[in-house]
Amino acid sequence: MATTALRPAVPVIRTGLYEWLTTTDHKKIGMMYVVNSFIFFFLGGLLALGVRSELAMPGIQFFKEAEYNQLFTMHASLMLFLFVIPMLAGFGNYVVPLQIGAPDMAFPRINALSFWMLPLGGVLMLSGFLTGSGAAANGWTSYSPLAQAKYSGIGTDLWVLAVLLIGTSSILGAINFLVTIFKMRAPGMTMFRLPIVTWTVLVTSVLVLLATPVLASALIMLFIDRNYGGHFFDPAVGGNAVLWQNIFWFYSHPAVYIMILPAMGIISEVLPVFSRKPLFGYKAFVFATAAIGALGFSVWAHHMFTTGAVYLPFFSLMTFLIAVPTGVKMFNWIATMWRGQLTFSTPMIFALGFLAEFLIGGINGAFSASVPVDFALHDTYWIVAHIHYVLFGGSVFGVFAGIYYWFPKMTGRMLNETLGKVHFVLMFVGTNLTFFPMHQLGLAGMPRRIADYSSTAGWTDLNLVATIGAFTIAFSMLPFLWNVFVSLRSGEIAGDDPWEANTLEWATTSPPPPYNFDHLPDIRSERPVFDLRHGLTGGHRLAPPPAPPTTPPSPTPSEPAPNVLVEA
Amino acid sequence: MPMPGVTRSRAAAVVALMLVAVALGACQAVDSFYPPAAVTRQGVATRDLYDIVFALAAIVFVVVEALIVYTVVRYRRRPTDIELPPQIHGNNLVEVVWTVIPTIIVGILFVLSWQVLNTVDARSAEPQQAYVRATAARFQWTFQYLDKDGKVLFESLAPELTVPAGENVHLTLQSKDVTHSFYVPQFLFKRDVIPGRENWFDFTIDPQDAGQTFRGQCAQLCGTYHASMIFSVKAVTPAEYDAFIAKGTADAQSTPAPSSATSPGASAGGPPASGVSGGPPIVVTAQNIVFTTQSIEAPANAPFTIQFENQDAGIPHNVVIHGGTSITDPPLFDGEIFSGADSRLYPIPALPAGTYLFSCKVHPNMTGTLTVK
Repeated sequence: MATTALRPAVPVIRTGLYEWLTTTDHKKIGMMYVVNSFIFFFLGGLLALGVRSELAMPGIQFFKEAEYNQLFTMHASLMLFLFVIPMLAGFGNYVVPLQIGAPDMAFPRINALSFWMLPLGGVLMLSGFLTGSGAAANGWTSYSPLAQAKYSGIGTDLWVLAVLLIGTSSILGAINFLVTIFKMRAPGMTMFRLPIVTWTVLVTSVLVLLATPVLASALIMLFIDRNYGGHFFDPAVGGNAVLWQNIFWFYSHPAVYIMILPAMGIISEVLPVFSRKPLFGYKAFVFATAAIGALGFSVWAHHMFTTGAVYLPFFSLMTFLIAVPTGVKMFNWIATMWRGQLTFSTPMIFALGFLAEFLIGGINGAFSASVPVDFALHDTYWIVAHIHYVLFGGSVFGVFAGIYYWFPKMTGRMLNETLGKVHFVLMFVGTNLTFFPMHQLGLAGMPRRIADYSSTAGWTDLNLVATIGAFTIAFSMLPFLWNVFVSLRSGEIAGDDPWEANTLEWATTSPPPPYNFDHLPDIRSERPVFDLRHGLTGGHRLAPPPAPPTTPPSPTPSEPAPNVLVEA
Repeated sequence: MPMPGVTRSRAAAVVALMLVAVALGACQAVDSFYPPAAVTRQGVATRDLYDIVFALAAIVFVVVEALIVYTVVRYRRRPTDIELPPQIHGNNLVEVVWTVIPTIIVGILFVLSWQVLNTVDARSAEPQQAYVRATAARFQWTFQYLDKDGKVLFESLAPELTVPAGENVHLTLQSKDVTHSFYVPQFLFKRDVIPGRENWFDFTIDPQDAGQTFRGQCAQLCGTYHASMIFSVKAVTPAEYDAFIAKGTADAQSTPAPSSATSPGASAGGPPASGVSGGPPIVVTAQNIVFTTQSIEAPANAPFTIQFENQDAGIPHNVVIHGGTSITDPPLFDGEIFSGADSRLYPIPALPAGTYLFSCKVHPNMTGTLTVK
C-alpha cells in the first residue's frame, strides 16, 4: 500500500475491457457491482412479471405450477442475493473510500475477488433453469424437508452452492469495509465525523460478518443432507425441521437490515444536501443504526410465530422494540427538512418516495410483531406487501436516489432531470398499485406462493390491479435506461460538485482520478465540503460566526479552529 | 362568472350525491382493510386486537405522511432564499420526546398483544368436547376423529372437518412429509404442521355459525401443488355432531375398507365383460392433481363404466359425480379413493340426460364435466 501511494502516477498500460477485467480500483469495482446488480435486477424483474401474469386471473394460463414455483423462488433469490445486497455493497465500494479520504479499499485484490464471485454465483444459480428438474423451487427460504433431495431436484443444489458463493463474497467485502473504515480514514476524519453512508456500511458489515457465516454453515449442512446422507434437517431420519428455520432466520433477519441500512444511509446523505441543512441528530442517527443492528439479532423468530416452537412473548417484545430506532430515523429525516430550503432534483424526489413508502413498510411490520395478529397474517399476501414496501418502497427507492445522486460523480455527466421525474412518477404509481392491494389480499386470506386461486375466492380484482402495477414498474425502467444511455454520451457536464454536497467525494473531480485525491480539504466536521464552501457552522449549539463564506479556509491551519469543540 | 341560484343548488345536490357514493365506496374500501369477521371465540379476540393495532397504525400513518407533505410544501426553496437556512444540528429535547413516545406506544401494543395471546394460544379451560387430528400430506388433508383418550374413531379422507359449534375443539396437527400450515381465514388463525412435531390448538366456533362452512388452505409452501391443498371446516350443532360421530364410528366398525363404490370384478385388465355397461369403459385420467380428462360423455338412462386412471404416485384421488353442475350438489356416485399410480373401474348407475359435475373428493378443486345424452 505505502509504496503504491507514493508513486507519482500510474502509467496507463491497460485499456478497455482488459482494464475492467483486471482492475483493483474501488471505483471501477463499485461501478461493476452496480451494473452487475442491475442486470440481475432486470432478470429478477422479468421473473416477477411472470409471477404477476400468472396471478392476474384465476386458472393456470402461462406457467404450470412447477414452473411458477421456480419463478417466485428465483425472483426472490436474484433480488435479495444478487441485486439488493450487492447493489448497496457496490455503492459502499464506490463511495466509502472517497468519503473517508482514502485512496482505495484496504485490500484491493480481495475487493476484486469478492466482486467476481457475484456474476459466477448468479450464473450458477440461474443454470438450474437448464437442468431437467428446473431451478430451485422451494422459495428463497428453502425450508427443509421440502428442500431435501427426495422433494427437490438438482436446481436446489445449484442454489445452495450459488448462495454459498455469494455469501463468501459478502463476508470478504465486509472484512474489507471494516478494515478500510477503521484504518484508512484521512487525518481529521474521526468516527463521529464519518458520513452517514459510511456509518451504515460499517454497521452493515458487522451484521454480515456475524450473520452470513451462520447461513453458510446452514447451507453446508443442507448440502450434506441432500448429497451425503446427513440427518440435520429431515425429521424422517431423526433431524429437526425447525432447526433449519432457526438457523436460516438467524441470518436472514439481520439480512433484511443488511438490505435496508445502506439505503437509509443514502437517504440521510441526500436529504441534507437538498435541504441545505445538516442531518438532524447525527449522533442519535448513528446510535439508532447501531441499535437496529444489535436488536436485529434478537428478532429472528418473528418469522416463526406460527411454528408453535418459539418463545412468543420475548420475540414479540424485541420486534416491537426494533420499531423505535426506525421511528427515530423517520423523525430525524423529517426534522432535517424542517425549516430547510428544499429543492427537488431527482435524487431528492426518490428520497422523498423512500420516506413515503418505507413508512408503510414500517407500520405494516408492526402488525406482525403482535403475535395474535401475525397468526392471522403470516404467510399471506400481507407479508408480501410488507417485504415489498420495505425492500422495494424502501431499498429500491434508496438505490435509485443513490444512482441519480452519484451518477455525476461516477461518469462526470448529469442524468436528465425530466426523464428522471417521469421515471419517478411511473415507479411510484406502479409500486403502490402493485403492493398496496396485497394488504387487502392477505387480509382476505390469500396465502403466499400459490400458483392459482379460485374465481370464487374474491381475489381476482385486486390481483389484476397488482399485475397492472407490476407492468407499470417495468415500464418505468424504460425512461431510466434511456436516460442512462443518452446522458452517458451527451449529458450535461457535471463538474466536481453539482449538488453543493457535503462529503469528501465531492471535493475531487468527476470522475475522480485513480487514488482519488491530489489534495484533501481540512476535515473539521461531518460536512468537510460544506465547510469548505460556507465555513464551519458548529454542532448542536450554534457556533461563533464562521469565516466569510466565500473565502476557502487557510490551506495550512496551524491550530484547530476553536469552534470544533462545540460539535456535540 | 356568477352562477344562477337554481343551477348552484342543483350542482350542490349532484355534489352531495357524489359524496354519498364516494362515502359508500369508501366504506366498502375500509372493510377490505380488516380481516373477515371472526367465527371463533379466539378469532374475535384477535380481531379486537387487530382493530386497535389498525387504528394506531392509521393515526401514525396519517400524522407522519402529513408531516412529510407539509414539510415538503412549506419549506421548498423560494427565489428569495439566498442565505443558508439555520444550520440546526439537533435538539436533545425533541429527540428524547420522539424516542420515548414510540417506545410507550409499542409497549402498550406489546402488553395488549401478550394478553390476547394468552387467550388465543392456550389450552382452553372449558371441558374438551371434540378431538380431531388433521394430517397433512402432499397434497391433501385428512381428518381423524378421536375419542377422549386419543383413540381413532374413524377417518375422513375428504378434506372436510366437521366440528360442533359452541363447543371447544382440540385439534392436533401432524404432517406426513414436509411442513404445511393449517389456515382458516375466518378463524384469523393458522398453525404450522411440522413433520416430527405434533402441534395443536383449541378453538370454539360461535354457536350462531352452526350450519356454515369455512374455507381453509395450506399456507406454507409444500411443493408443486401447494395451491391445491384446500379444505373446509363445517360447523354443525352439537347434536348433529354427536350423530355424525356415532354414524362415522358405526360405519368404520361395520366396513373395514371404504366401500361405497367397490368395483365388482374390476381388478382384471381389459374391457370388462360384466355386462353391466353397454359399451367400453369411459377413461378418466388424473395427473398432477387435475383431471386431464376435462369432459366425458355417456348414454342416457343406461348404466356405464368409468375406468379411472390415477397417475399421481402416492396421491389419493377418486371420482364423485354430483347431481348438478355445482360441487355442493349431493353426490350421485362416490367412487373408492385410492393412491396412484393405479386404476379402478367404477360402475355408474343409469343417469337421466343432463350435465353433471364430477370432482375428486380429496381435492375439491379437481373438477370435470359429465354430459349424459
